[in-house]
Amino acid sequence: MDNRLPTEFDVVVIGTGLPESILAAACSRSGQRVLHLDSRSYYGGNWASFSFSGLLSWLKEYQQNSDIGEESTAAWQDMIHETEEGITLRKKDETIQHTEVFCYASQDMDGNIEETDDLQKNPSWVASSTLIKPLDSACLSEEMHSLYVSSNEVPAKGTPENNGEVTDIAETLVKEEYCGYKTYKHRVSDGAKDEIKPILEDNSDPPKRNRITYSQIVEEGRRFNIDLVSKLLYSQGLLIDLLIKSNVSRYAEFKNVTRILAFREGKVEQVPCSRADVFNSKELTMVEKRMLMKFLTFCLDYEQHPDEYQAFTQCSFSEYLKTKKLTPSLQHFVLHSIAMMSESSCTTIEGLKATKNFLQCLGKFGNTPFLFPLYGQGEIPQCFCRMCAVFGGIYCLRHKVQCLVVDKESGRCKAIIDHLGQRINAKYFIVEDSYLSEETCSNVQYEQISRAVLITDQSILKTDSDQQISILIVPPVEPGACAVRVTELCSSTMTCMKDTCLVHLTCSSSKTAREDLESVVKKLFTPYAETEIDKEELAKPRLLWALYFNMRDSSGVSRSSYNGLPSNVYVCTGPDCGLGNEHAVKQAETLFKEIFPSEEFCPPPPNPEDVFFDGDDKQPEPLGANTIIIAQLESSEGSKNLESSEKHLQN
Amino acid sequence: MSMEDYDFLFKIVLIGNAGVGKTCLVRRFTQGLFPPGQGATIGVDFMIKTVEINGEKVKLQIWDTAGQERFRSITQSYYRSANALILTYDITCEESFRCLPEWLREIEQYASNKVITVLVGNKIDLAERREVSQQRAEEFSEAQDMYYLETSAKESDNVEKLFLDLACRLISEARQNTLVNNVSSPLPGEGKSISYLTCCNFN
Repeated sequence: MDNRLPTEFDVVVIGTGLPESILAAACSRSGQRVLHLDSRSYYGGNWASFSFSGLLSWLKEYQQNSDIGEESTAAWQDMIHETEEGITLRKKDETIQHTEVFCYASQDMDGNIEETDDLQKNPSWVASSTLIKPLDSACLSEEMHSLYVSSNEVPAKGTPENNGEVTDIAETLVKEEYCGYKTYKHRVSDGAKDEIKPILEDNSDPPKRNRITYSQIVEEGRRFNIDLVSKLLYSQGLLIDLLIKSNVSRYAEFKNVTRILAFREGKVEQVPCSRADVFNSKELTMVEKRMLMKFLTFCLDYEQHPDEYQAFTQCSFSEYLKTKKLTPSLQHFVLHSIAMMSESSCTTIEGLKATKNFLQCLGKFGNTPFLFPLYGQGEIPQCFCRMCAVFGGIYCLRHKVQCLVVDKESGRCKAIIDHLGQRINAKYFIVEDSYLSEETCSNVQYEQISRAVLITDQSILKTDSDQQISILIVPPVEPGACAVRVTELCSSTMTCMKDTCLVHLTCSSSKTAREDLESVVKKLFTPYAETEIDKEELAKPRLLWALYFNMRDSSGVSRSSYNGLPSNVYVCTGPDCGLGNEHAVKQAETLFKEIFPSEEFCPPPPNPEDVFFDGDDKQPEPLGANTIIIAQLESSEGSKNLESSEKHLQN
Repeated sequence: MSMEDYDFLFKIVLIGNAGVGKTCLVRRFTQGLFPPGQGATIGVDFMIKTVEINGEKVKLQIWDTAGQERFRSITQSYYRSANALILTYDITCEESFRCLPEWLREIEQYASNKVITVLVGNKIDLAERREVSQQRAEEFSEAQDMYYLETSAKESDNVEKLFLDLACRLISEARQNTLVNNVSSPLPGEGKSISYLTCCNFN
């Protein structure tokens, strides 16, 4: 088998993030010959999800990345003809900064954790459970910072020892797994603590607070699928529509977000948003229930009742809510948890529109308007890549591109030169913006996203089921600051190990991620520690592990701000800060229409069950619209049954 | 056509180096064809064949790599929710056998713990060019706790047997698990496919 890449394509796509992947699928589906490349060893770029060890390697890569200087351009210079010029692409990714890791879980490494009742008496346990920053994160973040400020300089002191540390710990622990470590159970009985822990549910079998150690997290590392961007799918949103329309939905499974939460006066509460929720709510009084229902029903067709809001179009939504006879807690719910708007900047009309959108998405698939993909957001770009491949797209990860080759006369890009020095020709080039060089981007201003990823030992709002998927908006303390979006995932989303929760925090940055988010983390969680536990602190979930980082947000950058890009080079941006995926889908569709104005964007493919081959091995015949409708029904039926057979098989 | 015209449905996923005959195995089994020198199958995601085993209709949904294995770029999502994996190598190609541990690592990382893996040495019609002895493959599959079979998609040797045996094992495993497993905690893969979910709006 020839392992060299073919050299003639219609479209070359560089980067496997969501917009690039949708575009690749759309191009391939419409019959274009597509080559889809990524310089990384994984799909998704900044849209990827990682196992725990994968995430540690990702962190390490970002550090090592900082030691690589820009290489000379000589490598490709002599491959360019006189009538051409080259546009260098960037060799190192600079979209991630200020990474800081904190480990709170016990890092007991001698493997003497056993199923025993008196772990607390073990002095080494107590000693090792104090706050540890295993990665020497202060030093790390400083380095990342200095790199950011002067990105051309190679940091003076290389820190290979530091860099290696995290993975080394991981490796040691993984090795331990094979030395009779397996016998230990997750649920360590812990009588003393159960007594003081408030038991919320009336259950004859009192829940035990689990003790999860760092070694367990490492050992169960492949159970984690940790998203770099935390997003959800609006059930009436563009991405859901596209997934269903294109049949890409068959490659993924989803779960409904089960709860919308609010944070008010230091407490986490569940927001009743459907009619059933409102009626079943124990927190709301009868009067409140009536008020809320009345208001929400109005919002669903507020356009029909202009007299209800016309006088308030100049007001902010929060002022408008005050006039609607809603109690303060209901106003809070509607503003922050349903409309998900900020207090100061949102107008009445915007608020009503957002509330209506929320309510319309409600109940399509379940009790909240959001869906989460099993195994994480990183699955979604991969699903589109699979679609592209099924229609003949060629995939190659770990493949770097040195430069774009531009024909001087026509000003059009005609080829790329890859890291092997091979020239690959195409008509159109789609490039994710992190691949563009500093020179190309010198006029570009970026926003930043602050992110935190936490592994915790229980949900921020305990209920009888520990399998909840929740979203919480924490309003800013100071006016003008950004609200923080918190998404809490349970193990049945296949993104974290049993008896843990994976928590994502997101906001647009004003400072470093830790500075932006730490105060919210402190409000909601308590660091894992054995000592000095009082009742109030214990009611909070405990933090086992935390990662902070900043991700570049290029979603607002316009194409015209790049220097000297040929017209047939199309730029895709990285993830935006928003909750949904609308930006990426819109971008992909807009670019596709620009490149192929007469082609349909991601039409449904023929159903495999309806594809017949004759003896001559012809291509499947095109199917009529009717067949495709049936096909969709059938494939959905199939997935249902696939599920049920799977239920038998697993566990 | 009835929607419920089968008793079981299983997702079977093929992996292995490019050119070992994965697509030929699927084509031979699902359509009885052997297309010599065929290129990648454009536009076909998976193939379906319904077989009857001991009076029960078993629908097999067989997924191919869509060529992503050529440059070692298979998406992780390809492995998700597979009930069985067919790991294929070419008995006339030492290299395709040497790559097996690498494939096993991918399986371990991305596939479900419960997945059944079958090792298949294909192209036994080219026995005179054999590079991988049966004994070596047997030893390897035993060490890895895999079921092992040699096939020829061209001559149709063992192809039916491969899929039918696999279907039998999947059924018996499914049965065992229903017996052992009462309805309890949420299971992996219980998420829903979005096109299936129904509508019921607020109000």
